[in-house]
Amino acid sequence: MIELQGLTKTYAGKDVVKDVSLRIESGEFGVLIGPSGCGKSTTLRMINRLIPLTQGRIFLGEEDVTELPAEQLRRRIGYAIQSTGLFPHWTVAENIAVVPGLLKWDKSRTSQRVDELLNLFHLDAGEFRDKYPHQLSGGQAQRVGVARALAADPEVLLMDEPFGAVDPLTRDVLQNEMLRVHQQTGKTIVFVTHDMDEALKLASRIAILNAGRLVQYDRPIELLTQPADDFVRSFIGKADLGLKLLSRRWVHQYQQPARVLEHPASFDNDAASAAYGWEVDAQGRALCLHGGRLHADENEQRTQVTHEWTATPDMTMKEALSRMVWFRVMVLPVLDDKERLVGEVAMQGVMGHEPSKQQALGQE
Amino acid sequence: MLSTQASNGRTRPLVANRVLLTLVIAAAIAAALLSFVAMAPNRLVSGESINLIVALRPWQWIILILLALLLASCALTRPFSSPSSHYLTLIAAPLWLILVLYGLGDYANRALQEASPSARVSQGAAFWILVFCPTLMILDAFQRLQTNLGLRGLYTLILVAVVAALFVTGHLDGLAIMHEYANNRDQFADEFIAHLRLVASALGPALVIGLPLGLLAHRRAGTRGALFGVLNFFQTIPSIALFALLVAPLAALSEALPLLRELGIKGIGATPAIIALVMYALLPIVRNTYAGFDGVAATTLEAARGMGMTSAQILWRVEIPLALPVILAGLRIVTVQAIGLTVVAALIGAGGLGAFIFQGLGQYAIDLVLLGAIPTIALAVVADFLLQILVALSRPPGAR
Amino acid sequence: MMRAMTLRAPTQTRTWLLITLSILLVVLVLFMEELKPLFEWVFPDLRSPLYDRESFLQLTLDHLLLVLVSSIISVSVGVGAGLFVTRRNGREFEPLVSSLAAIGQTFPPAAVLAIVVPLAGFGFIPTIVALTLYGLLPVVQNTIAGLGTVPATTLEAARGTGMSRTQVLLRVELPLAMRVIIAGVRVSVIINIGTATIGSTVGAQSLGTPIIAGLVGNNIAYVIQGAVLVGLLAIVTDLFFERLERRFSVGG
Repeated sequence: MIELQGLTKTYAGKDVVKDVSLRIESGEFGVLIGPSGCGKSTTLRMINRLIPLTQGRIFLGEEDVTELPAEQLRRRIGYAIQSTGLFPHWTVAENIAVVPGLLKWDKSRTSQRVDELLNLFHLDAGEFRDKYPHQLSGGQAQRVGVARALAADPEVLLMDEPFGAVDPLTRDVLQNEMLRVHQQTGKTIVFVTHDMDEALKLASRIAILNAGRLVQYDRPIELLTQPADDFVRSFIGKADLGLKLLSRRWVHQYQQPARVLEHPASFDNDAASAAYGWEVDAQGRALCLHGGRLHADENEQRTQVTHEWTATPDMTMKEALSRMVWFRVMVLPVLDDKERLVGEVAMQGVMGHEPSKQQALGQE
Repeated sequence: MLSTQASNGRTRPLVANRVLLTLVIAAAIAAALLSFVAMAPNRLVSGESINLIVALRPWQWIILILLALLLASCALTRPFSSPSSHYLTLIAAPLWLILVLYGLGDYANRALQEASPSARVSQGAAFWILVFCPTLMILDAFQRLQTNLGLRGLYTLILVAVVAALFVTGHLDGLAIMHEYANNRDQFADEFIAHLRLVASALGPALVIGLPLGLLAHRRAGTRGALFGVLNFFQTIPSIALFALLVAPLAALSEALPLLRELGIKGIGATPAIIALVMYALLPIVRNTYAGFDGVAATTLEAARGMGMTSAQILWRVEIPLALPVILAGLRIVTVQAIGLTVVAALIGAGGLGAFIFQGLGQYAIDLVLLGAIPTIALAVVADFLLQILVALSRPPGAR
Repeated sequence: MMRAMTLRAPTQTRTWLLITLSILLVVLVLFMEELKPLFEWVFPDLRSPLYDRESFLQLTLDHLLLVLVSSIISVSVGVGAGLFVTRRNGREFEPLVSSLAAIGQTFPPAAVLAIVVPLAGFGFIPTIVALTLYGLLPVVQNTIAGLGTVPATTLEAARGTGMSRTQVLLRVELPLAMRVIIAGVRVSVIINIGTATIGSTVGAQSLGTPIIAGLVGNNIAYVIQGAVLVGLLAIVTDLFFERLERRFSVGG
């Protein structure tokens, strides 16, 4: 748990951060977001006192750490930045071992921890330990940067736009990996970004800052459904608000039992009807869809189920809808991890059915 | 450009390496037109010029011509193709160089047998060009092959060893410069050591003063303008003027304070030389120290701070290792510069190899001048090469 | 390039320094004789406290002539060579010329001066030869470096607008490289002012002549007179080139 109380930063008589108070519970993924110059980075850097605070108090757990010597505090807080800041003259292993080294861990424990972290990020320890930063790709370097920040098992992990400088494809992979690592380690994370989609994807709580002030601090779904003021509304972006909302909804919330055909051979698709059904094999795997095309006049009656147009229960509805549109079908098969048909999610469902608030929040 | 019309109609250049061809032609012209050696009845008069063909034995100049033809053919597209022609150059060029040296010594020994004991054999302009050209050919071949520093070092070492063998075996003893060496053997060793000692005793204080000043310039932007201004001021003053200007106040000080005199600090001698050398050394050291620290990425420093390193830990474990190659590059500049400036220090009685140069100039004894000048140049080149290797080694394996 | 960071002191101060020191230099060159009582007072033991074998004006002019002649030759040959090895036809020579310029500069100037004597004799000519040879190196090096700093995209854009090769060189490359080239000329001229001083040991008359005479004859007054003038000359020249460099710096 980390709590900020009345954090204020004044430069030359001007408040860049003004009275920011927020509390991020243990294991939460908190995101600070806002337009450039809103003070989000300054706030983050005040937490590990890279920028000294003008006013306010910081609590780590129940402990007031405002007066703790900065170096001691920083060794208890992980820190990852956009350009990774890896030390170019040290190997990956030496980079990860920095904070354990500062805390005087013994060699075998440090070495074990390095391997553990490389494994956590799916980097082969044998291959990567002795590489130098310039031998890494952007994505690999960023993973090592985060691994280094986690090295001494810090109470909190601070991340300052860590994925801002990588290409969109890598960013997506790193975000998924970050979600997984967050789930596996249960770390409290404070993450700064200016990208709303990234925030919605990662955050369990989002703090929106504007001109140095905290405007709203809420769960993503509440931010989308109950924006505090016009600034928040415009910052989220009105144009694709509906789609953003769907990015916080999951397939399992909309999932219906699949209509499995007992006798697929006798299925007769009447062009005018919207009837459809699934053909499955003996193991319960979906083979093909009869009917169910977006346009009734399409010639194809049977559509082979392929990997691309299926859904999983933990897929966002935004992605599921996107797949329906792309593959021109009204319904997607929902498969479990053994590719068995466990349900279906249909386009009408997205429009007609609104999951109860409780159900939506339960996921958060 | 020279080219032939190939059968398929495409033009194919005849010359593959114009640098090599130019060097071979330059050497040939020099050998034909300029004097290879000069023969004088004694050390003070200038000698009679003797051509390469006359000076060398027939087998020597025939081989030289063959080597030149081989090197010229290496410069063409045919018969040798790209990598093999460079390797061939790396074999033929040093053979040429060694043969020229050997031939010179051989001539000196023969000529002196039938001449008076005071006769002198000195090398002429053609000799220098015939040594210079193959050296450049070797350099060019290495650059085209893009070999690493280690391999070049090994090759250079072998070549230097062979040349040194020519000296040590006494084959070149007939040359006037070797006569001068023989006459001044003890003094040469003394001056050589004095030269090194002057350089070393200037570099020590220069580093002790310069490194903290460089760090200061990096940490306090306000100090930069004045600091670099003053140091540039020192660097600009001609060496002999600075040496000379230090003589007067030091002489006065030494006069006034017997304690200083007892310590050996006098107006003339090593003290003003070392002070001036330190003043000259400061700018490159301070500038490179500053540049080295300035080159450490801001994000690296931010990450270091963010992980809880103390300022001292950041300095010693991050900044200094990353700045070291640039700082050592400054040391390389300063060392080479100090070796050169120490020559001038001989004028204020500080000793060193410059003593031979100015003694020789004063007596119109050219070979004595060379006895001072050539070792100084060799010393500077060797120091430069060694420090270049040190800079390469100091570059952290991970740094780009 | 490497001198760029010395430019931080306020421009105005430097301009005043240049003007003041120039006036001081001219006054000292012309009226050193008037200071004779001062030198007599400071060095009462010296029989002749003022160098009078030649006027200081003549010595200064001789010194300037040495530097001027050698610098004009080194700059024209050096810039020419730098241009040649950066054009398509001469690019093959670039690595060799670059490393030659780098290695050559490790040779001590005084040793180069000494080594020219056996080939060219004593006096004005060998000094000119040595100064020219040595002065070439920084000019060549900086010409290559300066032309090398012109971004490839700029060159492509210039060619894209339809400029001829000569136009690209004259209107894009040279203006952009000018500051670095002038920095090279500055280094070359400053070294030559220093080496010309030593030229007096090989028989070329210069401001070094009273210094050497003073050192040989144990006359510190002579040493100071020569050294102050040549030091001032070097500093004034350096400040002048600094201004010149700044004038040619693009966008800053």
